[in-house]
Amino acid sequence: MADNCILCGIVDGAIPSKKVYEDDEIMAVLDLNGAAPGHTFVFPKKHHTIIEQVPNALVGKLFAMANKVSTSIFESLDIQGTNIFLANGITAGQLVPHAMLQVIPRREGDNVKLSWEPRQLTEEEMSTVELKVKEVVDSMPLPGAAQSGQKQKPKSGGEVIADEENYLVNQLKRIP
Amino acid sequence: MEQQSPQDIEALKEKLKSMSPEELKEFQKKHCIFCQIVSKKVSAKVVYEDAKSLAILDINPANPGHILLMLREHYTVMPQVPEEDLKGLFVTAKLLSNALLRALEVKGTNILVANGPAAGQKAQHFMIHVIPRSEGDGISFVIPQQELNQKQLDALAERLRERMGTREALASQKQVYVPQKKKEEAKPAAAEPPLDDKPVAGPPERQQEEKPEEGILEDTGQKKGGGNLDDIADFLAKNG
Ligand SMILES: [Zn+2]
Ligand SMILES: [Zn+2]
Repeated sequence: MADNCILCGIVDGAIPSKKVYEDDEIMAVLDLNGAAPGHTFVFPKKHHTIIEQVPNALVGKLFAMANKVSTSIFESLDIQGTNIFLANGITAGQLVPHAMLQVIPRREGDNVKLSWEPRQLTEEEMSTVELKVKEVVDSMPLPGAAQSGQKQKPKSGGEVIADEENYLVNQLKRIP
Repeated sequence: MEQQSPQDIEALKEKLKSMSPEELKEFQKKHCIFCQIVSKKVSAKVVYEDAKSLAILDINPANPGHILLMLREHYTVMPQVPEEDLKGLFVTAKLLSNALLRALEVKGTNILVANGPAAGQKAQHFMIHVIPRSEGDGISFVIPQQELNQKQLDALAERLRERMGTREALASQKQVYVPQKKKEEAKPAAAEPPLDDKPVAGPPERQQEEKPEEGILEDTGQKKGGGNLDDIADFLAKNG
């Protein structure tokens, strides 16, 4: 699986990189041709194609590390903000089949675009979406969920990789 | 809050500066729409809540099902959030992303945080966006690539390693990392074609955009990752 994965290549040292952080589980490297100097990738060393496959404890650590990178680049560079960005699936802009977070330095008027045109939904459309999402959320084993609807626990920790997610995995495998 | 004149904003900035941290936090909470949603003074479509966090549907979404996930506690920016709360919140973000994939049968999600107005932060209450994505949904996120000065990047990487305590982290590893072990564990799967033969970290196929080099790496020194009072005042003036 890790063969031909550019991030696994970086972890192995087969592909040179500019590391900013590394421990047992996590690596952070500068994007050599990033949107701006300081643009950083934060990823698990172990190969996981999509974020749903990354264990919860590690998800927490990855984002905490992204926050640390964000603070460090903010303090080291003349920038005005940062984004922490995850693309989950090709449709969402995921470019490598190895789950990773991007920390992107921002300045007013730069040419990064992570904004959108707000959409206006009718009350009915909003309610339909609310019902659909709530139904699934209530059936999931969420950590520390306040709702009483904690009947079944398919798997502890909510690391459920259902067939639906395989779509993302399969699609990512076909990256040319 | 009504439309403010520049004088009003200046006065507000002065007032904020004279407040104790506790007073400031109270003041912010009072003027924060999301704190009012948390305390149920303002209604919202809540799709998830627990003791520490709350997830609502954005009323002006990027796509239907766009979730705003926030802590009940008011923090203006991410660096102010205690690490344990941050970890828990992102685990919830992952699970909500998973829920969107199932509930709406979308083909992907984005998880996004904007730190600061220049990064697109609009609310004064720290939050995570979880956005469902579909083919042709009209959202075009652009993260351009550019040629960077590799020597400057080396210097930057060195500085960041120092700040992040990377050497210490590596030294404390129980064993030397053995990459081969990992490959065996990885589950077997269809062959993945090579992504790119260039030995660079940048993923391929990104929208290419040329931009001339800029002078970087000046250490400004005075900036802090935390909430800047002037920014908070501006937020309040614009969004109050
Ligand atoms: Zn990999
Ligand atoms: Zn608030």
